[in-house]
Amino acid sequence: MNVEEQLKQMTTKLHQHEYVCRGLFERRGALSYIGHLDLKAVFERALRRAELPLLYTQGFNPRPMLEFALPLGVGIDTEGDWVDVAMEVPLDPEEYVRRINEELPEGVRVIRAVSLDEPKKSLMSVVTCAEYRIEAPGITEALLNVFSLEHVETTKKSKGREVRTDIRPLLIKPLTSSTPDSAEYMCYAGSQQNLRPDVLLKAVCETTGYSSEAAAEARITRLALYGGNYPDITSIEGLT
Amino acid sequence: MSVESPGRYVGGEKNQIVKPITEDMVRTVFCFPDIYEIGMSNLALQILYKVLNGPEWSSCERAFSPWPDMDAGMRERGIPLYSLETRSPLNEFDVAAFSLGYEMCFTNVLQMLDLGRIPLRSADRKENDPIVVAGGPVCCNIEPMADFFDAVFIGEGEEVDLEFTAVIKKYKDGGKKDRKALLKELAKIEGVYVPSLYTPKYENGRFAGFDIEEGAPASVKKRIIKDLDKVDYPVSPVVPNNNVVHDRAYLELFRGCIRGCRFCQAGYLYRPVREKSAKTLCGQGISIMKNTGYDDLGLLSLSTSDYTGLHELTDNLLEDFSSKHESLSLPSLRIDNFALELMEKASQTRKSGLTFAPEAGTQRLRDVINKGINEEDIMTSLKLAFEGGWSTVKLYFMLGLPTETMEDVEGIADLALKIERLYFDTMREIGAKPRKPEITVSTSMFIPKPFTPFQWEPQNTKEQFLEKQSHLRNLLKKHRNIRYIWHDVETSCWEGIYARGDRRLCDVILEGYKAGSIFDAWDQFFDYEKWTGILNSHGLKWEDYTQGWSTEDSLPWDNIDVGVTKAFLKREREKAYAETVTENCRSKCAGCGAACYKAGICP
Ligand code: SF4
Repeated sequence: MNVEEQLKQMTTKLHQHEYVCRGLFERRGALSYIGHLDLKAVFERALRRAELPLLYTQGFNPRPMLEFALPLGVGIDTEGDWVDVAMEVPLDPEEYVRRINEELPEGVRVIRAVSLDEPKKSLMSVVTCAEYRIEAPGITEALLNVFSLEHVETTKKSKGREVRTDIRPLLIKPLTSSTPDSAEYMCYAGSQQNLRPDVLLKAVCETTGYSSEAAAEARITRLALYGGNYPDITSIEGLT
Repeated sequence: MSVESPGRYVGGEKNQIVKPITEDMVRTVFCFPDIYEIGMSNLALQILYKVLNGPEWSSCERAFSPWPDMDAGMRERGIPLYSLETRSPLNEFDVAAFSLGYEMCFTNVLQMLDLGRIPLRSADRKENDPIVVAGGPVCCNIEPMADFFDAVFIGEGEEVDLEFTAVIKKYKDGGKKDRKALLKELAKIEGVYVPSLYTPKYENGRFAGFDIEEGAPASVKKRIIKDLDKVDYPVSPVVPNNNVVHDRAYLELFRGCIRGCRFCQAGYLYRPVREKSAKTLCGQGISIMKNTGYDDLGLLSLSTSDYTGLHELTDNLLEDFSSKHESLSLPSLRIDNFALELMEKASQTRKSGLTFAPEAGTQRLRDVINKGINEEDIMTSLKLAFEGGWSTVKLYFMLGLPTETMEDVEGIADLALKIERLYFDTMREIGAKPRKPEITVSTSMFIPKPFTPFQWEPQNTKEQFLEKQSHLRNLLKKHRNIRYIWHDVETSCWEGIYARGDRRLCDVILEGYKAGSIFDAWDQFFDYEKWTGILNSHGLKWEDYTQGWSTEDSLPWDNIDVGVTKAFLKREREKAYAETVTENCRSKCAGCGAACYKAGICP
């Protein structure tokens, strides 16, 4: 490889590569207790064990090229997250799913995958909304209270400082599938504007007096991610 | 409950082994008395996990010390310490096996037993309580913890472990009757020390030998694996999901060390040197990478450069690795042309720093400790490295070595300055533009350890260590290219009393634990004043354990036999005083006694 080719390789983003496998995955159990970077490493090692035709980043410390749609916080389960992996040669999505699932530790599983041909946009940049479920005693009533307010002020950490912020504009709607102890809702998510479920829970406690002990024990699941502009939302699957 | 890094308490990793629990199986829980992240980079854990999960009738699970936040939460809610695999409380196991790699983990052993609902003292355990055992290098003098262990493995565990569990199996099949008889039975296994069969005597406040119960051996002989090629190696180790201290796979090249540095306990404990063949290692290295998905393989041994098959092994591994973006980590490499080339090839990362361990600042003192390198060697290697583009050097030294004077301490600073000068001279010579070299001087405190020629030596006091440290700091502080870092003096001072301690320390350690001490190996938790107070309240002084012994005295570890004879250690001690070096095992056998194992390179 000459210098120019090398430079090109180094600066090429994952989504500009020819063969990208986009997988929908879930995680639960032990694997939910690790952070975003650890989850990335879990995927990297599983991909290596599966001996897939991976593309590597250039530079001093080459790593398999992969990108997640949205970081998952520690302690949060998911039923609908996405991950892109760049391949050297085309790979049948079904074979990809089979081989990586053989190697992933129990608790993470790729549900299905599609192959994309040189996607124009990065996976991260297409995410706009998310659906979550929070399970805790009486949580739905408290959350509906929050939805009925015009402003929901809370503090959040930004660049190491505590700042006041109104999170109400980030909430979209409660879902009809909610039950008294299991609140499901849709909110804005992604790199532009994002409402983390722990920040929401904190605001719920502050504004409705919901018990923070109960909130600390709540089980949180990300149900799905979407692209597009609400209400015209679309699946992430084919968004390139 | 919200705790730091919850991932360390849940298991569920790739290659974890979860066996269904059955009534007639011997269940061992491997206990590591520090956090998960440290325990999981421990090779002994991975080896014994595999061995003990081998037979159908044996299973092995894992448990680690909960960090203080988790510890507090568990106590508050009455949650017992449980294993990762089946979430069983420790007291439901037949055997709780501790791995002891360093002395300062002692209070964590008590923490784990306590949280695991196992009576702390061996004497208080009933027939149904787990048999609590320990293994690891610290066990060559386990006296400070002797009251808490039912049995202790001396030496390497791969073979003795299953012999041990087989005896436990019989005990369990027989309905767990008569624990005392079981302990006597266990003491018959070679390499198993049962402390309760040995009662220490004291005269004038000093240890004066043991009363030994009938049937127990006068000394317990270390076990070793004679042929490392024939013993199973964990090529599918458990791969942690969260960030572990060393995020890589490991390959053990050989055990033992040919060098015979007189301060180094490992160098004597692991004799004789036994190598694995390059062929075995290459096969294992390739499978371990495939089975774990790591991108870096660390070669482990006491001195990588002394491995005779290094050329062949690294060539073969690197050939396989290059296409898969995998790299090799080569710690403790002696720097020469071959090594520099190898480092260049082995790792795709930037030129990492070079490390040297001269250990002492003057040639006189290096001869005392039998560190077989001289200044010329160091300078020649460094010149090569500087020419090759390296500019980061880390130098390791020890303070408080026997016969050390302030002149030797000053020698450390001199050496660092000479290296700085060498860097600039070399750059000028080859016409390269010098960068800012980074020379790090790191000092640790010399602690005399059992089974070394220095086992009778006095240890430096805290004041002596501090004086030497500050002297060196003053000498180096004006030099902007040289950074001086040092270890915590108090922790090392205390480690010294455990290293050569006797059974009277058991009560001290227990009281320290009850007063809230855990994670003493972590400087931020260790409280020297508190521990000194407890020690003194038991009528003991720090000096009782550190002022040294005469070579005629009985030593608390006299009932342990590691193969190396006391006569040899005395000879080496005399040679140290005479500033005479001893040749390494490969060039000439020094007759240390380890040849009795009829293994490895011994004649
Ligand atoms: S018996 Fe000789 S060769 Fe063997 S370890 Fe001892 S000194 Fe070295």
